[in-house]
Amino acid sequence: MAITEKITNTTTPTFWEGAIPVRYVYTFGLAGEKFFRTVKDKGTFLATYCEDCDISFVPPKIYCDRCFNELDSYIDVGTIGYVETFTLSFRNMDGSEKEAPELLAMVRIGDTDGGLIHYLKGFEVDEIGIGMPVKAVFKPKAQRKGSIEDIIGFGPLK
Amino acid sequence: MKLEDFELRGTNLKSSDFKKGKVLTTEWEPNLKYAWDNGVAIGRYLAELGKGRIIARTCYKCNRTMLPPRMFCELCFRPTDEWTFVKDTGVINTFSIAKVNWDASRRGPKEPPLLPAVIEIDGASKGMGIMHMLGEVDPKDLKIGMKVKAVWKTPEDRTGAITDILYFKPAAAKKKTKKKAAPKTRGKR
Repeated sequence: MAITEKITNTTTPTFWEGAIPVRYVYTFGLAGEKFFRTVKDKGTFLATYCEDCDISFVPPKIYCDRCFNELDSYIDVGTIGYVETFTLSFRNMDGSEKEAPELLAMVRIGDTDGGLIHYLKGFEVDEIGIGMPVKAVFKPKAQRKGSIEDIIGFGPLK
Repeated sequence: MKLEDFELRGTNLKSSDFKKGKVLTTEWEPNLKYAWDNGVAIGRYLAELGKGRIIARTCYKCNRTMLPPRMFCELCFRPTDEWTFVKDTGVINTFSIAKVNWDASRRGPKEPPLLPAVIEIDGASKGMGIMHMLGEVDPKDLKIGMKVKAVWKTPEDRTGAITDILYFKPAAAKKKTKKKAAPKTRGKR
């Protein structure tokens, strides 16, 4: 059976445009709450550690994802980290061009097994090396809200 | 082991806990813009709405006139055959008196309730109809089976959308004139 009608003129097809309004408010969870409270109040990072697996988690988890041990002791692991991998980004999240390219890195925190993805600030791209130590730069305490944006980025040690 | 034997843990949060900032939160509004291809049937349907007409599609095998139009008959499993103009009058199949908006927010005390309805359009097969709003009617007078007529936007304001019909209003039962009522713009909507 044949199709009785089809569009042959490429300017004929029409489309319907819309935008689905979706907004969410998400809590950080038990460990995330502690982590970001500490960022806000003390300007440092917390980790949890599984003794059985010898793995430490940053951001902290309340369970070890290898052995399901419950992890309830939080360790201050400081604000110094090491560049695990990095990239230079020219685009914003919506695909538009950034005014100036920004450096992003996965930074392993202290001697933990975890890390944060954040901006690198105060570096040129050819200064960066994998394994390079960097230090978290926080917003002034009064401006911190308890979010990842309380961290401006990771900058040079001194 | 029964479920009761486990200690079920969790954190109870009220909306006031969020407002007071008792818990830290992150907010986001994802960009969910879309452009959806209208296809042959809905493309023509919307174009005809822009011209102030309602068009349906007929299947010769089952003799149904389908509205909104579709290019394929889901009962006969074959392409539909003919474009059919239908009237802009119809009968209320079902309706609702809504005191909430689409996003579930309450309508203000001075805002009239919204009156969404399914309207079986005259000329289309029994049960075939479109969902639209009712207007120029007291909600208390609404009845299933009530005859209604489309109130259109002025030709200049039409964009080829279902909203080119502003709403359906009760049709004067006696008059069977084909003259279209001048669209009245209702300030509220």
